[in-house]
Order: sequence, then structure tokens, then C-alpha cells
Amino acid sequence: MIRSNFLALLAIGLLGAGVACGGGEAPKSEASAPAAATTGAVSTAASGGSTGTASFSGKVAYEGSVPPVERVKLNADPKCAAMHKEGLERWQLRVKDGGLADVLVYVKSGLHGTYPSSTDPVLLDQKGCDYWPHMVVKMVGQPLVIRNSDDTLHNIHPRPQVNPEFNIGQPHQGMESKKTMDKPEIMIPVGCDVHPWMRAFISVFDHPFFTVTKEDGSFEIKGLPAGEYEVEAYHGKLKTQDLKLTVKDGEAAKLNFSFKG
Amino acid sequence: MSMQPVAVNPWRHRWSLLTLCATLALIFIGGLVTSTGSGLAVPDWPLSYGMLMPPMVGGVFYEHGHRMAAATVGLLTLVLAIWTTADERRKGVRGLAWAALGAVVAQGLLGGLTVLYLLPPVVSVLHACLAQTFFCLIVALAYSTSREWRTAGVTTDEVGLRGAALLAAVVVYLQLILGAVLRHTGAGLAIPDFPLAFGRLWPAFDRPGVAVHFAHRLGALMVLGAVSWLLGRSWRAADPRFQRPAGLALVLVITQIGLGASTVLSGKAVLPTTAHVAVGAALLGTVSFTALRAFRLLQPPREARAVRLAAALGDPA
Repeated sequence: MIRSNFLALLAIGLLGAGVACGGGEAPKSEASAPAAATTGAVSTAASGGSTGTASFSGKVAYEGSVPPVERVKLNADPKCAAMHKEGLERWQLRVKDGGLADVLVYVKSGLHGTYPSSTDPVLLDQKGCDYWPHMVVKMVGQPLVIRNSDDTLHNIHPRPQVNPEFNIGQPHQGMESKKTMDKPEIMIPVGCDVHPWMRAFISVFDHPFFTVTKEDGSFEIKGLPAGEYEVEAYHGKLKTQDLKLTVKDGEAAKLNFSFKG
Repeated sequence: MSMQPVAVNPWRHRWSLLTLCATLALIFIGGLVTSTGSGLAVPDWPLSYGMLMPPMVGGVFYEHGHRMAAATVGLLTLVLAIWTTADERRKGVRGLAWAALGAVVAQGLLGGLTVLYLLPPVVSVLHACLAQTFFCLIVALAYSTSREWRTAGVTTDEVGLRGAALLAAVVVYLQLILGAVLRHTGAGLAIPDFPLAFGRLWPAFDRPGVAVHFAHRLGALMVLGAVSWLLGRSWRAADPRFQRPAGLALVLVITQIGLGASTVLSGKAVLPTTAHVAVGAALLGTVSFTALRAFRLLQPPREARAVRLAAALGDPA
């Protein structure tokens, strides 16, 4: 029995030594200076898909009650809590002067041919334990740079339906990872499983005619060839709206959407 | 009639009980990982963010905490396997100890796979089921090293307790598999009301989740029936060695049904959902122990008659 008790203690000792070995990983950083794009960059070197001189602009209006801004307590991570002592603002609808922000506006149909992808990287930044911007828009194949600007760890976990799902960790401040998405797909939810309040959406297009409305609900899309199109306005909390648009070369058309709460 | 006494180090028995308690705690912590949506809060494996000890913030607290608890149970099981090999004469018990070690290693690998492959339901369900199987193995190891196993006499199973206990263990295990499928396919709220289902006794099965969820509710009734039958048999036998665990099992079943209802009505709040997982494991452990005890302490009447006849004829067997 003494022999067996000794063997048991020896096993504990050996495992303890094994567990104590190992180490961490130094921060990685890929130098780049991507921009937080909110609109498509129209390339003049379209292959098959043509660009033009028409444009359209307008406003997404909102009528109705606006849910109050919530303040989420970030106690799960003391570093996040220290950055938002009053809690992190979370809104369902951002309305200013009757205009609705964060609406994805894009040409849904009417385009012909294929458009070359932009090589300009698009940034999704994790800053203040929140995503910036909340609405990321990019073309297929266009590099997506994900940065951790926080002095805490994050994981980045998009849950697409069409593109491949991934989950990467960024434990150190300043880390950057580059990803591409090769299939068109709108409103891919992105979350951090460490900080469940973090939420953003990525939309990927096979053409450059898309944008996200500004704080006052305004938007503009340029470089469109003459033609007839269907344009969609998409807000995660409201129904979508589709409008017909006909533009001629050089024309600056007006297109206004109106959502009711 | 008494059985051949088996010498067992009492400290090994205590160690197996410690492993048993640690495993139940581990199952609760594992339940917390899923209930808090932290399963992918650590995206790499076997390290965590490339570290042995990442900052324990947010979802990392649950996921890495689960890994630490799992490593502790793995360590306890390794020691138990080595210890059992060193001083256990019974080949079957030695095999059981190594089976437990194999199960805990496989469980760790499944946990890693489910992280690396982003929680595929098949792997997550296997991970959940193997956890319960491992728990049963440790129950068996703990009981096989107990004083009762070594010294108790065998009596005749006059009322069918062995069958009732085995049936209860099998039904509870199948119900746990169904529960794991429900949990890891996101069907926990596929039926949003309770006790009715969409306001009806029998819902329309228009989605797979509804079928899985409803089958789990029907399974709960079968578990209630099986455990009640076991308790009834125990009462008939008037044997407190079975009345006590069967009574405890019935209390656990009723608690478990209450927790299941709370899980649905609270919209899968963390505490009732996680407690539902842990109480399910405790129930399986209780009925498994009862079945082991029944098969250890009771003989079927026909076998008992044969033994009595042999004794009457002067055959020592």
C-alpha cells in the first residue's frame, strides 16, 4: 500500500511539473493603415461590369418612437468597465433630425458584368471594447483588417451563412489580422464571445455600389452607369425597403426612403 | 451468504469519491460554458490565446475555467488509474480505471475539436454524452472500491429490483443524450411555453427542433415513470439500501422537471439551464449507482434457488 500511495504522489508531481511548463506568445502586428470604409470605392477598371457618371443620393427618414439608449455595464472585464464608467451606450435606432443612421443602402439588382475587387483594406477596429464601425461594407476579395486597439483580449467571430465562419483571438493590444470574404453576403453578424455586448455587421458585395447612411440618414452612391436599378435600404431592426431607380449618364438622382416605427 | 472479501486501500476509495465530486463540478462548469455562450471565447486549443493562463475576463473566465477544471479531473483520473494498477487485484476494476482515463483523454480531445471546428453539433453532443459516460465510470470505480462492495452479503431479488434499476439507468442515459442533442442544436426554446406546447398538448412538428424538444419532454415523463417504478420496487422489497437512492432519484427527477420548465420560461437563463445539466448528471449517477448496487447485492430468484439447491446437495459452489 505504501508503494501504491508513493506512485500516486509521483503521478501528481509529474503532472504538476508538466502543467507548470509553457509560455505565452508575443504580440503580432502587421503594419498597415487601412481605412474604416463606409462606401464602395468605384474602380474605373471594371472588367465586364461598367461604371459611369450617374449618381444618386438621398436620405433615409424615420418616423415613430425611438427606443431609449441603453447603458450596458461592462463588469465582465474590469478594463472595459474602466473605459465606460457609466456603461457602454447601446441603441436600437440612431435618429437625428428625422434621419436614420446605420442603414445599409445598396444596388440590389440591375447591374451587369463583374467588377474587380478593391485592394484597399477595410478596417474593423476593436476600440473601447466596442467595434468601429458597427457596419462594415466591402467588396468580395477586398482585405478586411481586424485590429485590437484595446489593452484587453478579444476574439473575433463572424457567423456568416454563405462565407466560411472563422474565430480568431487577439490577446494583445495592437494586433492585426487580415481576412477576406469571397462571396456576396449582407449583414454578417460579428461578435466577441469574451465580451457579448460587442456586435457589428459585415456586408460583402460583388460590385462597388453600396454605402451606409450617416448620422443624419443621408447617403450618396456615385459612379453608376446609366440604367434601371433596384435599390435596397436595410436596417437590422426594421423591415427592408426596395425602390426603383432610373438614371442617365451624368445625372444626380434623388432617392429617399422612409421607415415607420 | 457472503462474498469473497476484496482488499482495497480505503484512500483509493476516497480518491475516487473526490474524482466523482470533481467530475460533477466539472459538468456544472461545462454547462456554464454553453449557457453563457462562452464556448468560443477562447478560439485556440490546447493553449488559450497562446497562453497557459490568459486573463480571466468575460467569456474566457468560463471557457478557460472549464479547461482548468477538466485538467484537474484528468489529473485525478490519471492518479486513480496508476493507483488502481498498482494495488488492485481485480482485473475488471483495473480495466475500468484505464477506461476512465481513456474517456477523460478522449473528452479533452473532443473539447478541443469542438473549439477548433466552431462547435459542430455532432462533436458538441458527443462531448456532452461522453461527460456523462465518464461520470458513470467514476461512479462504478467508487462503488467497486467501497466497503459495501467488499463485505456485503447477497440476497435474492424477489421483486425485480435489478431490472427496474437497470431500466431507470438506461432511460435516464437516453434522456441525457436527447437533452444534449436539444442543447447543442439550439432547440432549447423551440417550444416556448410550458407545460403545453404552443398552447396544445401535441404540437405541429413543422421544424426538427420542435420534434427534438418535444421528445425530450416525453422522455422526462418516461424517466419519471422508470424512477417511480424503481422506487415502488424498492418499497416492495422494504430494503433501505434501495429505498434511499431511489427516493433521492425521484426527488432529483422532480427537481429536474422544475428546472426544465424554468429553463424554458426564463428564456434559457444561465442558472436554471446550467443546474438542469448538473442535476441530470446527478440523477444519472444516482440511478447508475442503484443499478450497480442491485447487481452486486441481489441475485435473480432462479440463480438464488440454484445456489440454495447446490448448498443443500453439499456442493460448496
